[in-house]
Amino acid sequence: MKLAYYPGCTLHGTAREYDASTKTVSKIACIELVEIPDWNCCGALEAIFDKELSMGLSARNNMQAQKLGLDLVIPCSICSHNLGRADTAMKTDEIFRGKIEKALGNKYKQNGFKIKHLLDVMVNDIGVEALAQKFKKNLKGIKAVPYYGCLLVRPSEVSKFDNPENPTSLDNLIKATGAECLPFSQKTKCCGGNLLMSNQDYAFKLTQKLFDEAKASGANCIVVACPMCHMLLDCQQSAVEKAHNTKIDLPILYFTQLIGLAMGLSEKELELDRNMVSPSKLISSIGKEEPKVEIKAVPKVEKEAEAAQ
Amino acid sequence: MIKSSDLDPNFKYEIANEPGGENIKLCFNCTGCTVGCPVTEIDTGYNPRKILRKALLGMRNEVLTDESLWLCASCYLCYERCPQDVKITEVMGAIRAIAQRDAKAGKIKITHPKHKFDTLFINSVKSNGKWYEAGVSGMFMFMTKGLGGVIGYAPMGLELFKKGKLSILPHRIKGTNEIKNIFKEIEK
Repeated sequence: MKLAYYPGCTLHGTAREYDASTKTVSKIACIELVEIPDWNCCGALEAIFDKELSMGLSARNNMQAQKLGLDLVIPCSICSHNLGRADTAMKTDEIFRGKIEKALGNKYKQNGFKIKHLLDVMVNDIGVEALAQKFKKNLKGIKAVPYYGCLLVRPSEVSKFDNPENPTSLDNLIKATGAECLPFSQKTKCCGGNLLMSNQDYAFKLTQKLFDEAKASGANCIVVACPMCHMLLDCQQSAVEKAHNTKIDLPILYFTQLIGLAMGLSEKELELDRNMVSPSKLISSIGKEEPKVEIKAVPKVEKEAEAAQ
Repeated sequence: MIKSSDLDPNFKYEIANEPGGENIKLCFNCTGCTVGCPVTEIDTGYNPRKILRKALLGMRNEVLTDESLWLCASCYLCYERCPQDVKITEVMGAIRAIAQRDAKAGKIKITHPKHKFDTLFINSVKSNGKWYEAGVSGMFMFMTKGLGGVIGYAPMGLELFKKGKLSILPHRIKGTNEIKNIFKEIEK
């Protein structure tokens, strides 16, 4: 399978380990990625106040991909939302298409061009079973919660590959690696990414909710498929700890890093050393039997008496 | 108290004419947007239903100067769940567009920093074709919190830099002319 590849700004910056792990994992999954030439920023969520501008910036990338004659794969949920939305507009809104074609002096290909998120390609085009055949290492010991966030599955008129309220594609992929996939009611809740710069306290409160439930479920890591989610959960984790005077210490893996580990790839190849929260303890726990903890039930009355003291 | 003589009955049409705002008139105020909203969960002062209701009533000035307009996290949950397909996330964008235009014309003042960040971000895309993370973040910190803000942000920046994740200089694409043409064509 040969696909055009749009990394987006973050994968060449703060999410470079997502870029690296996407490339190595894709190679093993027999996907050839051709980075689209001279791509530009999609406008992210900062262009929300100008829908046409956001779609116009995104449409240019689509046209650059069309020059390669390939379908397009995108690992970032925000970019894939923006470019997907622009594709629909370029195919259905003649006035908008006219503006953009005039600005770029080129025609937009109307048929046979698809845009997909990387997770969609891995789970539905390659398939979980076919991927599992490439797995060399059982990841037993990893207890993950799958975090989809917002734009990976919403709105369903743009992202059509999974259930927008209770998606399961990432769950299935985690299970296929031998890792435990724990139930996570926050799986499509917002991480607050878009408020990080303007209302940091709000963003951190939203992120804290995710951490709290992940911890309560007994997870030893969170698996994500979006660089913005990773920015909040991994990069900002120490800041959240400081702001809320708490200890979180939860490694956050891109799903490509997780399946890369199952494929037997090294930490270096997956750039796991570039994650801000070190996953080394997690990685050394793979395959190890967990020490049995004896849970002693304390009667409620006794607990209350203790608290009163 | 709402004085009907102060209302602007054209406001809803103004929003509906803005890209993304087309469906505002479909809203029948069921509160589905607000019930699931993650921001409302942590701040009940943010109430998307109220913003929509006020907009439909024509409370133009109140809506455009309401700080909470800038609190939407663009998570698209209300967009997904709305039974009337109002496309609320994009309606919020459309209202912000009108607010920014009014602010530019000196009619209102936007105090919320989100507006500043988005403007810096988009300007950097306009000139480079990509967003200049270090520059935009640094500038934003300086504009909103002064030198202390920049210094406060520096340790995080340094951590990112050490991991090879932050570039000091902006990256510029070859097709910046095409980007400028897109801006020009959209602004018409």
